[in-house]
Amino acid sequence: MTTGGLADAVVLEGVTKRFEGLKAVDALDLRIPRGTTCGFIGPSGAGKTTAIRLILSILLPDAGRLSVLGHDDAMQAKDRIGYLPEERGVYRKMRVDAFLQYMARLKGIAPEVARERALRLLGQVGLADSASRRCEDLSKGMLQRVQFVAAIVHEPELLILDEPFSGLDPVSVQMLRGLIVEQQLRGATILFSTHVMANAEALCDHVVMIHKGRKVLDEPMSTLRRQYDLRRLHVEPLSADADLSALAGVEGVESIRPTAEGCELLLVSGAAPADVMQRVAACVPPARLEIARIRLEDVFIGLVTQEGGAESLHALRSHLQGQAQGGVA
Amino acid sequence: MIRRIGLVATRDFIATVSRKGFIIGILLMPAIGVALSLLVPRLLASHAPPVHGEIRVVDRSGHVAASLQQALKPSVIAAQRDARRQRLIADAAPEAGRNLSLPAGAPPPDLAVRSLPGEVDLGPHKEALKRGEEGRPAALALVVIPPDAVVRGEGRSAYGGYELFISTALGDATESVLRDALEDVLVRARLEAAGLDADVVSIAQEVARPAATLVGEKGEQRAQRNFNRMLPFIMGALLFVAVVLCGQTLMTSLIEEKSSRVVEVLLSAVSPLELMWGKLLGQLAVGLLVMAVYIGLGVLLLLQFALFGLLDPLLIVYLVVFFLLSYLVFGALMMAVGAAVNQQADAQSLMGPIMLLLVLPYALSPVIGRNPDAPFSVVLSLVPPVNSFVMMVRLASDSPPPLWQVLLSVGIGIAGAAVAVWFAAKVFRIGLLMHGKPPNFATLLRWARQA
Repeated sequence: MTTGGLADAVVLEGVTKRFEGLKAVDALDLRIPRGTTCGFIGPSGAGKTTAIRLILSILLPDAGRLSVLGHDDAMQAKDRIGYLPEERGVYRKMRVDAFLQYMARLKGIAPEVARERALRLLGQVGLADSASRRCEDLSKGMLQRVQFVAAIVHEPELLILDEPFSGLDPVSVQMLRGLIVEQQLRGATILFSTHVMANAEALCDHVVMIHKGRKVLDEPMSTLRRQYDLRRLHVEPLSADADLSALAGVEGVESIRPTAEGCELLLVSGAAPADVMQRVAACVPPARLEIARIRLEDVFIGLVTQEGGAESLHALRSHLQGQAQGGVA
Repeated sequence: MIRRIGLVATRDFIATVSRKGFIIGILLMPAIGVALSLLVPRLLASHAPPVHGEIRVVDRSGHVAASLQQALKPSVIAAQRDARRQRLIADAAPEAGRNLSLPAGAPPPDLAVRSLPGEVDLGPHKEALKRGEEGRPAALALVVIPPDAVVRGEGRSAYGGYELFISTALGDATESVLRDALEDVLVRARLEAAGLDADVVSIAQEVARPAATLVGEKGEQRAQRNFNRMLPFIMGALLFVAVVLCGQTLMTSLIEEKSSRVVEVLLSAVSPLELMWGKLLGQLAVGLLVMAVYIGLGVLLLLQFALFGLLDPLLIVYLVVFFLLSYLVFGALMMAVGAAVNQQADAQSLMGPIMLLLVLPYALSPVIGRNPDAPFSVVLSLVPPVNSFVMMVRLASDSPPPLWQVLLSVGIGIAGAAVAVWFAAKVFRIGLLMHGKPPNFATLLRWARQA
C-alpha cells in the first residue's frame, strides 16, 4: 500500500490494538479522503471508539501504521483535529465561555480570536445567553451543544465525532445534523461513529462498517446505493382495501413483503425500476410509490451474517433498530 | 508543548486558588489566626469586666487573715502577675524581653477579706456563697484555715492544708489568684513561725536563668533554646502542610477530571505528558503561594516580637528548595494515584503508603531536631523520598549538617523526583482512560513497565 498522500486525511494500515489479550481493533486498514464525511458504523463494542482513539494518538497501536493529516503522529496534528468523545465532559465549575476559550487556546487559537469565536458559535447553537453561566448550571442538552462547539471552535480540518447523536432529543439531533452539514460545507473532513444507521444514511459520503474489531465494509454511499438499492419499491395503496397480492404477478417483481403502510416489492435483478413502477401504478393506484432508500442496517446485518457472526440475526437487528429508535430518547 | 503546559498550569492554578475553600481555609484562616493572636490579648484586657467581691476567712491558726488581706490588694496582685510574665518571656526568648511589651491582661480583681471568728458556724456563710435574687452572692469564697496550717501539730511531719468553698460566681482566674495568695501567705507564715526570714528565703530561691551560649563549629552563638527547639518542627510542619495540600489537590482534581470525563476532551488537545506537567506546575505555583503566605505571616509574627534576627534567611531558601523536591516526589506519586482511580474512595488504599511516608518524617521531626547528628537522622536525610523532610529539619536544628550532606541530599532528591515523575508519566499514559476496577500498586508498576 502506498502511504497516505495529501488527498487522504486519515490513513490506517494494519492497525491493531489489544487490551489484555483481546483484540479491540484487528489489522484495520482505513483511508478517509479529505473533505469527505465518513460514517464509522458498528454495534456497541465493535471497536469504533478504540479506532478513533488510535487515530487521535490518545492510544498507541500495538502494530500497524497510521497517518493523520499528513503526520505519522496525530500529536503533531492535534491542533487541526476536533474531537467530540462519546463520554463527554466539561469542567463543572468553569464558565461556559471560559471553557470554550480554554479549549480553543489549547488548540493554538489566539485569545482574542478564541473569545470572538466562542461567543459567535454559542449564538449559533442558541446559547448566547449562557456564555457567562457555569457549566454545572446548564441542562444536559445545552451541555452537549457546548461540547460540540468545543470540538469545532478552532475550525479543525478533521472533525471526529464519537456517537454524536447518542442521548440527544429529536430537536437536538436536527440541530446537530445542521451543524455537521455546516462543517461539511466548510470543507472539513468528518469521521463520525454511530450505531444508529439512520444518521449515517443521512450524512455520510462514505461508510466503513466494523464488527468485532475488523472492517467488514468500506464503500462510498453512492456505490452502496447502487449495489443494495434500486431493487426495492415501497408501495402504499390509495385505498385501504386494495388487493396487494395482485402485485406479485406484475412483470419484474420477484417477491412481495407486507409492511405497515402497504408492501415492499423486491424487483427481479436487472429489471428497470421506472418500468416496473409504471406497471405497479397501473395495477394498484398508489398513494405513495417510491424506491426504498438504502438501509445500512440491512447491509450490515447481511455482511455480518454472511461472515457467520456469533450473534443471532434477530438480536443484532433489534440492537440496531431498537437503538435507532431508542437512540433519540 | 510549552504553550499547552502553560495553559494547563494556568487553568489549574486559577481553578485552585479561586475556590472558596482555598481562600478561606488556606489564606484567610492563618491570616485571621495571626491577627487574633496579636489582637485578642489587647481586646481581652480592655473588655473584661472587673471582678470585685468578698472573701470570708475563718482563720483558726491566727496568722493568716491579716496578711491575706495585704496579699490580695489589687496593686500587689498586678505586681506579682507582671513579675511572672517577665520570667516567662525571659525563659522563652531572652533577647526579646527587652523589646517586648506584652499586653497587660485583665485588671486584677478587687477582693475584700472579711475575717470570721474561729468557732463560727459555717452553715450561714456557705449559704452566702449562693447566688441571691440579683444573681450575685454575698461572698465569693469561704476559706477555712486549720490551727496546724502554720505550726505543725505535735509529732506531725506535714502542715495542715486549708479548706476552700467557692461560689459559682467565682471565675477560674480569680480562684487561682486567691489560691496563689493563700499559698504565698501560708509559706511566709510558716517560715516566720520557724524563725526564718521569708524575704531571704524567697531571694535565695531565685536563680537567674541566663541564655546559654552555644559553642559550635561556627563559633559562639547566643542560643534561643526554645525558639531553636521549635524551629525544626515548624519547618517540618510547613513543608508537610504545603506538600500534602498540593498533592491532595492534584489528586482530587485529576479524579474529578476523570470522573467528569473531561479528560478525554483534554487528551484530544494535549498529550498525557503535557497534561501531567501542566498540572504539576500549576499546583507547584499554588504551593509556592501558600508557602509565601505562611512564611510571610511567620516573619510578621517574628517582627512583631522582635525575634526576626533569630531566623537565618538561608533557611527560607532551603525551605523552598526542599519543598520543590518533596513536592515533585509526592505530587507526582499522588497524581499517579489520581490518574489510576475513578473515585476518591478508591484512592484511599493507594494513598495509605504515600501518606505514611509523608507523616513519618513529620512525626519524627522533634526527635530529629534534637538529635540532628545522630546516625539515624543522617541516614534518613539521605534516603528518598523522606530525605527532603529530614534534611530540612536537620538544617533548622541548632547543629546544621555539613554542606556536602545538604548537597548530597539535594542530589538524591532530584533523582527521586525524576523517578517519581517518570513513574507518574507512565501511569498517566495508561490510567487516564481506564474506567474499571481500581488498580493496586502492583498494577501500577505493571503499567509503568508496559507504557
